[in-house]
Amino acid sequence: MDSSSNQPEFDYLFKLLMIGDSGVGKSSLLLSFTSETFEDLSPTIGVDFKVKYVNVGGKKLKLAIWDTAGQERFRTLTSSYYRGAQGIIMVYDVTRRDTFTNLSQVWAKEIDLYSTNQDCIKMLVGNKLDKESNRAVTKKEGINFARDYGCLFIECSAKTRVNVQQCFEELVLKILDTPSLLAEGSKGMKTNIFKERPPQTDASTSSCC
Amino acid sequence: MATKSFLTPTQRYAAGALFGLALHQAQINRTQPLGLSTGEEPTDERPSCSSSDSVSEDPQLWVHKTSGLLRPVLKFLEIDSGAWSGLEETAGTSPAKHHVGAFLRLLSEEMGDTSSEMSDLELALSKAVDATALSMEEDSESSKFNKEKHREYEHQCREKFSTAEVQSDFESADVNLVPETDSNMIDSPDVHHGLISKMEEKPIEDETMLNYQRKVTVLYVLFSACLADARDDKTKCSRRRKGYDARHRVTLRLLATWLDIKWSKMEAIETMVAASAIALATAEESKGGEEQKSSQNKWAKWKRGGIIGAAAVTGGALMAITGGLAAPAIAAGLGALAPTLGTLMPVIGVSGFAAAATAAGTVGGSVAVAASFGAAGAGLTGSKMARRVGDVEEFEFKAMGENHHQGRLAVEIFISGFVFDEEDFVRPWEGQSDNLERYALQWESKNLIAVSTAIQDWLTSSLALQLMKQGAMMTVLSSLLTALAWPAALFAATNFIDSIWTIAVDRSDKAGKLLAEVLLSGLPGNRPVTLIGYSLGARVIFKCLQFLAETEHDAELVERVVLLGAPIPIKDEKWEAVRKMVAGRFVNAYSTNDWMLGIAFRANLLTQGLAGIQPINIPGVENVDITDVIEGHSSYLWATGEVLERLKLDTYYPVFKTTV
Repeated sequence: MDSSSNQPEFDYLFKLLMIGDSGVGKSSLLLSFTSETFEDLSPTIGVDFKVKYVNVGGKKLKLAIWDTAGQERFRTLTSSYYRGAQGIIMVYDVTRRDTFTNLSQVWAKEIDLYSTNQDCIKMLVGNKLDKESNRAVTKKEGINFARDYGCLFIECSAKTRVNVQQCFEELVLKILDTPSLLAEGSKGMKTNIFKERPPQTDASTSSCC
Repeated sequence: MATKSFLTPTQRYAAGALFGLALHQAQINRTQPLGLSTGEEPTDERPSCSSSDSVSEDPQLWVHKTSGLLRPVLKFLEIDSGAWSGLEETAGTSPAKHHVGAFLRLLSEEMGDTSSEMSDLELALSKAVDATALSMEEDSESSKFNKEKHREYEHQCREKFSTAEVQSDFESADVNLVPETDSNMIDSPDVHHGLISKMEEKPIEDETMLNYQRKVTVLYVLFSACLADARDDKTKCSRRRKGYDARHRVTLRLLATWLDIKWSKMEAIETMVAASAIALATAEESKGGEEQKSSQNKWAKWKRGGIIGAAAVTGGALMAITGGLAAPAIAAGLGALAPTLGTLMPVIGVSGFAAAATAAGTVGGSVAVAASFGAAGAGLTGSKMARRVGDVEEFEFKAMGENHHQGRLAVEIFISGFVFDEEDFVRPWEGQSDNLERYALQWESKNLIAVSTAIQDWLTSSLALQLMKQGAMMTVLSSLLTALAWPAALFAATNFIDSIWTIAVDRSDKAGKLLAEVLLSGLPGNRPVTLIGYSLGARVIFKCLQFLAETEHDAELVERVVLLGAPIPIKDEKWEAVRKMVAGRFVNAYSTNDWMLGIAFRANLLTQGLAGIQPINIPGVENVDITDVIEGHSSYLWATGEVLERLKLDTYYPVFKTTV
């Protein structure tokens, strides 16, 4: 029964969420981070999910990363995934200006609306750094947005894997620095639905035996 | 595209997600019938719970890839395999209520280019389902006659046995017992409604956005997916059988509840898919050596290719691909196999039928459907199990009702355990009028009649009557439960019953094993089974489940169980393991004044608790107090009908309607 025995040990479990317009490279970024590869991916359907174990700051961490579809038609779905996320990664494409403006006009609002976590760490990520020649959003603009919105910022490339590890690492370090998030992610809070029992009423049955 | 033309890819994705959510919720509800334990409510405020562990690490979960429950369905729905793990994780880690609304919205919003064509198909399909449901209801009109018969029987029984069951005013004595039994598991309708509506708030609110046709279509497609069994043989899988899994049926039941679709509609869908699939298979067989037309080629190709073939070869409705050739064959097949459906043709019209057949078509040719009907629908009757287990002399299934050989995809087995006559094996259950294929198990009639008669004789003896007049029995029972002294008079009496009772108990254990073997052998077909039994019959069921628990990993076979007045100790029995063998509801109906059961069962065992007179504090067991209906143990002969009616077995959530 005890299924936890064969699982890798970890100190904290964090739930991360990736959002942003369709085609900015969320799935590629995730794939680059989890399996260190890069390939052409078809648009994500609904939501994808990946687990990655990392060692950061001397702690063993289990990252449960939810990768949402950017396409408009799946927008209705993503709202329910904000719940309980300790970190949210907002991704835009440095070569497409609209994906950047949408972050402030659409996605940031979604976070405010649906996130259940006051302290959750947000991170702005400008992807496709490898296409420097086609850049449409300057680094300065990104920094400014991040400062205004109170989030971390990094530019990276899923393709060349520049800054990919750093992106997740920085986010996780910040989560580790936030006591309220740490408490949520600690192992003690894990629950197993099948080990929980309904409210005990032994008084009722045992008394008669 | 065949089935696929009914739904757009996005809708299929949403349907698959909902199925996954329902599947996981169904598993949770097995141990937490209302899905709301103490631990769950605070979950809302404690977000980390929703990301506790990932599904991939817990093979016990129904949504886990090795369970073989969710992935084949997703595959059938042609959902991109890249999206599977996301769906599994969504279903497995977070409370369903967070997501159901969103997926329902997705289901209702998405409209493809061919929307008008699709909505026509949807309309035709839902009409066909309605018509089938209606005709099935009409079919059960004859149940009124059954009810009459049952009432007659009840009178008969009452006359015979009521002398013994002097029902004096036990109300005062009851007071002692009632508070004790009032555990949280006991169903009080008020509490339930509160909880259910609380939990279902979101789905209900969103469900109105979905139109009825769409909902029926979704259920139709999902059911086809369950049956089609597009399992990948390469992947390791803990599910062993092909066919209709009990857990799938429970899931569909929950899904129908979420969508606010009546269960009778779902049963109509089951029958339609089954009948069309069988018809397709029959048409194929009969054509074996006949003319080599090109259309046959198409036909064979379409069949062989199964699901993918259907998508490739067919342009639209089934009528189109077969050039009208198959249609008469199917109609004939339907007529032969399911008279109900045969008469349907004029009602639902060609377009409706085509829609139905198309949706079902993809299931055709799959082994699963055949597997679902066991020995070609021959079923349980006539099987000579008798001499398999030495001591059990008699073990025979008797067909009941008129739902046989009609492609019903679920079986119900009734087991009596306190009988005075051979007909008592069948008659207590005659008032039932659901849409299942029903059987009564006749077993060890000689022993059972002997023990029942002995008990009855003792009850009518002057000694017992005297005791009862003094109103002593109620106090006797409460003292039995507290394991205090027994009245000396009872000792003498029970010694006399003891030996035959012991034999009967022993036989019931063996019959249970036999029943388990029958179920395992697939004799009733790999169809979800509902087991209902009273007295020693309930013990047969319990022992059967216990036996299943030794070899089975999960509830593939048994969908629902109702134990009435069961002579089973509460301690020292593996109730948890037994509970695990049942996919859906598990009811323990008990009567606190069934002192006869208490006496027969003896005091030494009573210290361990007794299921037939007490609630069982096991997660997921639904305890129902039926003291007001059951005056004494023999009441089960005639009161089972009423009890079962009150249990409303066809609803997903435990409901117990008390007559006020």
